[in-house]
Amino acid sequence: MARSVSTSRRVTFTVIAWVIALILFFPILWTIITSFKSEGDAIAFPPVFLNFHWTLDSYREVQERSDYLLHVWNSAAISFGSTLIALLISIPAAWAMAFNPGKRTKDILMWMLSTKMMPAVAVLVPFYLAFKNLGLLDTKLGLIIILTMMNLPIIVWMLYSYFKEIPGEILEAARMDGATLGKEIVYVLAPMAVPGIASTVLLNIILSWNEAFWTLNLSASQAAPLSTFIASYSSPEGLFWAKLSAASTLAIAPILVMGWFSQKQLVRGLTFGAVK
Amino acid sequence: MTDYQVVRRPNTLLRNLNSKIASIPMILTALVVFVGGTVWTVFYSFTNSKLLPRSVFVGFDQYERLWASERWIVSIQNLAIYGFFALIFSFVVGFVLAAFMDQKIRFESVFRTIFLYPFALSFIVTGLVWQWLLNPDFGVQHVVRSLGWTGFTFDPLYTQSIVIYGVLIAALWQGTGLVMVLMLAGLRGIDEDIWKASRVDGIPMVKTYLLIIIPMMRPVFITTLVIVASGIVKVYDLVVAQTSGGPGIASEVPAKYVYDYMFQAQNLGQGFAASTMMLITISIIIIPWAYLEFGGKKRG
Repeated sequence: MARSVSTSRRVTFTVIAWVIALILFFPILWTIITSFKSEGDAIAFPPVFLNFHWTLDSYREVQERSDYLLHVWNSAAISFGSTLIALLISIPAAWAMAFNPGKRTKDILMWMLSTKMMPAVAVLVPFYLAFKNLGLLDTKLGLIIILTMMNLPIIVWMLYSYFKEIPGEILEAARMDGATLGKEIVYVLAPMAVPGIASTVLLNIILSWNEAFWTLNLSASQAAPLSTFIASYSSPEGLFWAKLSAASTLAIAPILVMGWFSQKQLVRGLTFGAVK
Repeated sequence: MTDYQVVRRPNTLLRNLNSKIASIPMILTALVVFVGGTVWTVFYSFTNSKLLPRSVFVGFDQYERLWASERWIVSIQNLAIYGFFALIFSFVVGFVLAAFMDQKIRFESVFRTIFLYPFALSFIVTGLVWQWLLNPDFGVQHVVRSLGWTGFTFDPLYTQSIVIYGVLIAALWQGTGLVMVLMLAGLRGIDEDIWKASRVDGIPMVKTYLLIIIPMMRPVFITTLVIVASGIVKVYDLVVAQTSGGPGIASEVPAKYVYDYMFQAQNLGQGFAASTMMLITISIIIIPWAYLEFGGKKRG
């Protein structure tokens, strides 16, 4: 892996990378900064960068209007709940496909993954009606069910690609030594698969956290997660930038923090295990 | 893939049975959700359902009305423009950035995370942030004008003819990082000896990329293409958050058409017809890919 790159070039590249990173990060940064301004400062001109009166007013107003903690709790419950259920369903499935592939395994996987490409709006009505009849509209349980189903294909696919890298011989050996199927999965397969499972979980939590289509349409107030919360600020508050920024910052903060502390898993998850 | 299944074991039958049982919950879910939902949608697209689904068949009426609707035509055109440029730009920029990150720059993982941050945000937030940055009174236009260029005009979100490009900018901001990371993964998978060989032969770097590296990255390109393309066809929340389809109907997209007909105009049949068209479009993207990647030859 020794491709030599001269120092001067390396410095140039690093500088360029910083510039690009800053440009890319600027919208996020600006949103965060604006959230600490008063409404007046937010539309002040020329734009004030750091030398304004820092205030938490916008946050206070947002909290007064909608219960932020309720939405955070909803988001957390929905994304963790759906991820957990999806894992319970997909670990056995991925195990079966990776270690006992049949003739049609690849076809089934492909078909599963292709469903993920389907526009969700095409199946919204049947679900809406079913949820209405079952009393699942605007409940956390309902959203957990729908997000589990929506993310299942990706989870199975990712777990499958991680499991496939585990040599079957190790499991074989465990079996030779008399491990039962359950023991084989719990003591041999699971420990080796932990990094892959972690990436899968992380990506899925982020996807569920950001999911806006289903949550917007199937929740109103009680079960509304952060995506619904932020959407409720979009149109009527169109000109209250500070408040809007505060709401946005509150909505993205958990993701930014989580993303920073789990960069490696995140990148691996996003690239379906392609980056080691 | 291992040659695992060829090894004879006394409990083959049992294990295969186990693996079948293990797959059942997943397959059932997928069947119920996707096949069930799709069949239901296609079925009712041939009816004149309004507020509630009804089984009064009207043949292809809904489809004729769909293609006669100006809004649908605008939606399709927008999707075509958006899709074309989103694909080209995210691929070119994503690849250049990835090639660039591959030069062993310092703090690579930090950059990778920052580049990926936009992707980790929901479309709703992206749409709102960019709605603001592109607002002529507060955003880019205002800043540039105040720097002296008073004639500078950049207000895509308020100009019918270019509003879709405003949406495109936000989409590229959000999506390019993902393309970059996928491409980087592909670049890392290229054997270092290839680089050495091309250097020994004195092939310029750009040429090495174009003629050797990119052809070698075909699988990565195809996977990225499918991920990006399927996101493009589904684009919905970004438009809703950024422009709500306006000004007028200038930034409408098919998914929004479906949604509005189903829930605002209470014309389910029309919405179903539009979503069936979307399903057909997706199939046109997916099937050739599935065939190329998984048909014919079996890969491990």
